[in-house]
Amino acid sequence: MTTRQLGARYGVSLVLLGLVLLAAMFIPGFFTRANLTTILLHVSINAVIALGMTYVIVTAGIDLSVGSIVGLAGVLAAATLTNAALVRALGPGLAAVAAVLVGLAVGAALGFLNGALIAWLRVAPFIVTLATMTVGRGLARLFTGGLPIGFPDAGDPDYRGKVAALDALNHLGGGRLPLPGLPTGFPVPALVMLLLVAAGGFVLTRTRYGRYVFAVGGNEEASRLSGVPVQMVKLGVYVISGACSGLAAVLLVGQLRSGGPDAGMLYELNAIAAAVIGGTSLFGGIGSAWGTLVGALLIGVLNNGLDLLGVQSFWQEIAKGVIILLAVVFDVWVKKAGQTVKRTGGK
Amino acid sequence: MSDAAALLSLRAITKRYPGVVALDGVDLEVQGGSVHALLGENGAGKSTLLKVLAGATAPDAGTIGFGGVDVRFERPRDALQLGITVIYQEFALVPELSAAANILLGMEPGRRGVIDRALERARATDALAQLGAGFDASTPLKLLTVAEKQLVELARALVRDAKLIALDEPTAALSHRETARLFERVRALKERGLGIVFVTHRLEEVRQIADRVTVLRDGRRIWTGGIRDVSDAEIIRHMVGRDVEMERVEGRAAPGDVVLEVRGLTREPSFRDVSLSVRAGEIVALAGLVGAGRTEVARCLAGADRWEAGTVTVSGRPLRPRSPREAIARGVVYLPEERKTQGLVLGMRVRENATLAVLKRLSRLGVVRHGLERERAQRQVDELELRPPDIEREVQTLSGGNQQKVVMAKWLLADAAVLIVDEPTRGVDVGAKSEIHRRLRALADGGKALLVVSSELPEVLALADRILVMSEGVLRGELDARTASAERILALALPGGGSRAA
Repeated sequence: MTTRQLGARYGVSLVLLGLVLLAAMFIPGFFTRANLTTILLHVSINAVIALGMTYVIVTAGIDLSVGSIVGLAGVLAAATLTNAALVRALGPGLAAVAAVLVGLAVGAALGFLNGALIAWLRVAPFIVTLATMTVGRGLARLFTGGLPIGFPDAGDPDYRGKVAALDALNHLGGGRLPLPGLPTGFPVPALVMLLLVAAGGFVLTRTRYGRYVFAVGGNEEASRLSGVPVQMVKLGVYVISGACSGLAAVLLVGQLRSGGPDAGMLYELNAIAAAVIGGTSLFGGIGSAWGTLVGALLIGVLNNGLDLLGVQSFWQEIAKGVIILLAVVFDVWVKKAGQTVKRTGGK
Repeated sequence: MSDAAALLSLRAITKRYPGVVALDGVDLEVQGGSVHALLGENGAGKSTLLKVLAGATAPDAGTIGFGGVDVRFERPRDALQLGITVIYQEFALVPELSAAANILLGMEPGRRGVIDRALERARATDALAQLGAGFDASTPLKLLTVAEKQLVELARALVRDAKLIALDEPTAALSHRETARLFERVRALKERGLGIVFVTHRLEEVRQIADRVTVLRDGRRIWTGGIRDVSDAEIIRHMVGRDVEMERVEGRAAPGDVVLEVRGLTREPSFRDVSLSVRAGEIVALAGLVGAGRTEVARCLAGADRWEAGTVTVSGRPLRPRSPREAIARGVVYLPEERKTQGLVLGMRVRENATLAVLKRLSRLGVVRHGLERERAQRQVDELELRPPDIEREVQTLSGGNQQKVVMAKWLLADAAVLIVDEPTRGVDVGAKSEIHRRLRALADGGKALLVVSSELPEVLALADRILVMSEGVLRGELDARTASAERILALALPGGGSRAA
């Protein structure tokens, strides 16, 4: 294996490791269990969205609608959670379950719409998801009148029930699991993220569907001629991306105890950034769940470290931009490595 | 034979590409006021010669004389400025711009970067008028027909004061009437003293328009002379040659039952009324020139495209696939002509490519059974003697012949009854070619039915049991491979080039 191929496989992980070491040495308060746990919590929502985004980008697509899905799925999940009749009928626990299902269903449905338009009408993913991004945000604001849903009035006859339901969902979005040696406990969203990345990685690398995702992204025509159901594969990645965003929306509602119509703004860019930094190629055919997690962590560690140093948030944005650029340049460099190998291999 | 004052004289032009000599010491002289036809099979070197002429590619050896002076082209602009225009089959035009803007593209009249639109239009209109064009110069190019776009290209040559115009198969996409009109214009240009180089496959056109003929074969100039001094049969013999025989691989057993039966298959404008059958254990070749409609037939049978009329049966059951997936499920697989764009996912491993079409059989509950997959892929790859026999390599690191083996491995694993193979040895070196031929024959001996599309006559003769020849979307005839000759195939394959007997 050449240096480049090694770099391609482990480069971003090494960068993350180096960054963590540097931060551990020079930033007081960084390398504590509590702070590291906080980083995991902070990256979890972005990582969940970015995982779905990875599927899409591996097929050489893009999903700009994820942020709006977070907004729309969030307000609908919050509305479900604080629906008086529902809470009375189901009780707070089942109402929370219903809210989760609503969030997932809304996300998957919008993803289905994206995927159907892209796979069957052959509209460019950028355009389709740009449109659903706008429509989704509009629907979220229309539904809520622009105000967040959550906080019940103290005079509300169902006040207690609604609060109980919000509390129930808060176990998912803001809960902590006791963990020996960790006084603050382990954040539930971070656990959700880790489980999801493990599952997402398994599907990508071990299942027939995952293989098809890479094949379609690597060469759509060759895949079609090999009998790969290209349209279903494409539909699938957008449904997965939508469902991941729906799940992220529910986590966010649980964390904040409310669903706001403007939640998730610009999340699409953070998700794309995480995937790309993690080695997913925008040309398709290359990417991994683990890489995307590393990409999300890299952004998280960077933000956290700069926060602790008291650096202005503006600088954090600049740093993130530079890292994205480096990742893309790296991607191009690795691509070139493939061509060099081709020449030597072809006599 | 030729004047000393030739307009163009190419001397000993040689051009090598990795693995092939595209042009091998080719001479070509073209007089002003004459039409010189350039003939040759696919891959004879015509396109490369045009590229050298256009300054698009630099020859490795040889000299170019133009107007009595030796010249060197660093880039296409140099050739254009001297007055050489090459008009390719794929026009170099911008669809969104007007005809006038296209005609003067790169030499827009005006000052300080501001185009003088009136002058631009006037000059374009003038050039189009000289050609007798029947459309306005302000028409957006995308609204024009192919013949009209060709006029835009010719007008472009005129405003640049071209002295030599080379046309690459200009009539391929024209109707008979349009062709006749084009010939009138070409004759008018010739009368004005321009030299014309005319590349075509159609002998009847050569008779109509050309003064002299040069035949290329395998990158060498085979024959040059006046069109009146040569018969069609002689031209075909020059094009085919004799020194290109390949070892013939005979089948072991008599063919069995008909597996693939095609009746009246039609997809306008690519092909019409194509009927053929392939038996188990038989290799049937679909021969013809590029553009004859063979690949289009193959793609329809493979489910990659739809047909409009006709029926197909596989082992007696009707087949009308809406996708390659359906065709594969019925045991019909397609090895496409473009290996890299259609046959392989270059960034994936040998193993992943080899099992792509059969993954369902190698997985349980949607999870790929890794060990089973490895075993199957390795066994198939070993059988094909892939070099190196490493199934975890990315296919883009393999040579052309080995990449083709990976494509074959994929379809061997699919264990289909019918294999449709499109240009099985394109871009493969000679040694690997005969090996691939042996593999294909072994498949037939194992009871498969093979339909092989090939533009290489020696390959067709070496590989097939029966040869079907297509030309201009129609089956022109069937030949027994043991008694067929390259001349007879080519006579059927050339549009209007010989007998049309079936």
